[in-house]
Amino acid sequence: MSASLLRFFGGRKSAPAPASATAPIARERLQILLAHERSIRGEPDLLVLLRDEILAVVSRHVRLDPDRVIVKLDRSDTVSTLEVDIELPNGFERIAAAG
Amino acid sequence: MVARAEPVRQQMRLRGRSYVAFVFCPFVPIVGWLEEIDATLARSPGFFVGKPVVLDLSAVDLSQSAIAHLVTSLESRSIRVLGIEGVDAAHITTSMPPLLTGGRHCVVPQNKPEKPAARPRPTSLLLESPVRSGQSVIFADGDVTVLGSVSSGAEIVAGGSIHIYGTLRGRAMAGVNGNPAARIYCQKIEAELLAIDGYYQTAEQIDASVRNGPAQAWLEGDVMKISPLN
Amino acid sequence: MAKVLVVTSGKGGVGKTTSTAALGAALAQSGEKVVVVDFDVGLRNLDLVMGAERRVVFDLINVVQGVAKLSQALIRDKRLENLWLLPASQTRDKEALTDEGVGSIIAELRTKFDWILCDSPAGIERGATLAMRYADEAVIITNPEVSSVRDSDRIIGMLDSKTVKAEKGEHVKKHVLITRYDTARAARGEMLTIEDILEILATPLLGIIPESQDVLRASNVGSPVTLNNAASAPARAYTDAARRLMGETVTMLVPAERKGLMNRLLGRRAA
Repeated sequence: MSASLLRFFGGRKSAPAPASATAPIARERLQILLAHERSIRGEPDLLVLLRDEILAVVSRHVRLDPDRVIVKLDRSDTVSTLEVDIELPNGFERIAAAG
Repeated sequence: MVARAEPVRQQMRLRGRSYVAFVFCPFVPIVGWLEEIDATLARSPGFFVGKPVVLDLSAVDLSQSAIAHLVTSLESRSIRVLGIEGVDAAHITTSMPPLLTGGRHCVVPQNKPEKPAARPRPTSLLLESPVRSGQSVIFADGDVTVLGSVSSGAEIVAGGSIHIYGTLRGRAMAGVNGNPAARIYCQKIEAELLAIDGYYQTAEQIDASVRNGPAQAWLEGDVMKISPLN
Repeated sequence: MAKVLVVTSGKGGVGKTTSTAALGAALAQSGEKVVVVDFDVGLRNLDLVMGAERRVVFDLINVVQGVAKLSQALIRDKRLENLWLLPASQTRDKEALTDEGVGSIIAELRTKFDWILCDSPAGIERGATLAMRYADEAVIITNPEVSSVRDSDRIIGMLDSKTVKAEKGEHVKKHVLITRYDTARAARGEMLTIEDILEILATPLLGIIPESQDVLRASNVGSPVTLNNAASAPARAYTDAARRLMGETVTMLVPAERKGLMNRLLGRRAA
């Protein structure tokens, strides 16, 4: 069983380009990428934080194997998609509620 | 009232044991005898290390100070004297090794003396692959031979001659310990720098006529000569 | 048996990253399971050439530091399912990349992949020395130009002394891959010849990649040139090179001028 916890919609796929018109594609890729990189420069890593907090929340209820957690990202110019895939074995162990 | 238990006494046991020791029988003049010792040590430096040695002074008539001096001379050669025999007790002071009596002749088991590395030092260095840029080969003891080329940015420094079975594109410095007879040989000369016994020539000074073929470089006085090798 | 292959050069800008992506994709297309690893620290390039720049979550240094597991940092290529990328770190400093850390990651990668291609940064500092440290084989990217050849020679010397294999007295198998070969300039005698380069480097030739617009176009769209335009001259040359890496004997083709499409006796064919 896998639980997808976060999914937003977004992203536009570009059409395959004719041989001569690749420069505009390069420009678009760079604009998206650099806009993102400039915005995060110097800030603590948001993705690491999100992943760690999500894992902490899930671990409170279920025994988690960190190797079974996959984090995927897809950025576009309008929104970004963060996907956290956690594999929980069937008959997963629930952690007894404390107190 | 305080009772105090007597500590249990352990019997002190006296035991006897015999050991086999080398016996040195010095002869006069002592200086000559010490030279013999030195010659033996030169051949096998570790020979007496760790072996008990007894001095038999019955063949010589040494004063107390002479005996003390002899013991000190041996200790300075790392030979430690276990005991002394063949002298009058009056000649031995408490700071010297004790007087021994009752020694019996026996055969000393002859184990091979260790030869600590007195291996003959190599006088030439062989490199079987090219010498790459940034690598530096230094061999002060003799000739260097390279089966391959010496790249630009590499250097060979030799006390003797340098033989390159390939193209010399880097630096070659021969005869570095004051050996003006050293030479540099290569199959193709495109060197950045050549030096023999400190006298050097840079690439631009190397004549175009010797390039692109086998060449040798040697010193005549303080002038470096380079000629094609045919 | 997994093979760790370092793609290195010493000199910058000669085509290491392009070649890593192209060779990686060509090997993956033959069915091998391949991971390409970016060993630069602070500057990230391989992800851009592979077209994965928007999907980078964790990087090599994150894994070394234990911030992320290797499986979380590996990015699967969207076009070839057995091609993966381990990106470089943009923000950490060199000291964070350690010998032990790299050693343990390489060991783990060996259990999952057939080929581990390490894209070395330029220079001879930590990123470059660690990229080669655990290599079984090396591809030395060289342009037909004097400083590139000299830097390649330096790197070859380091491969024979600074790698784990060399320290154990074993042999790192080395290949020279000549890139940006300009056929017009070669014809005019304005460029170092292939023979010159091989004579100086004394290392076997893996392939000759012609200078071509296809390489630029491929990097513009974020696709390895062997995927983006497999029929192009550089793609075919990279594919031949990948086949040689896998042990095949492939006739070496020297790129020639387009004009004068004559088959020469020595098996040369127009690019």
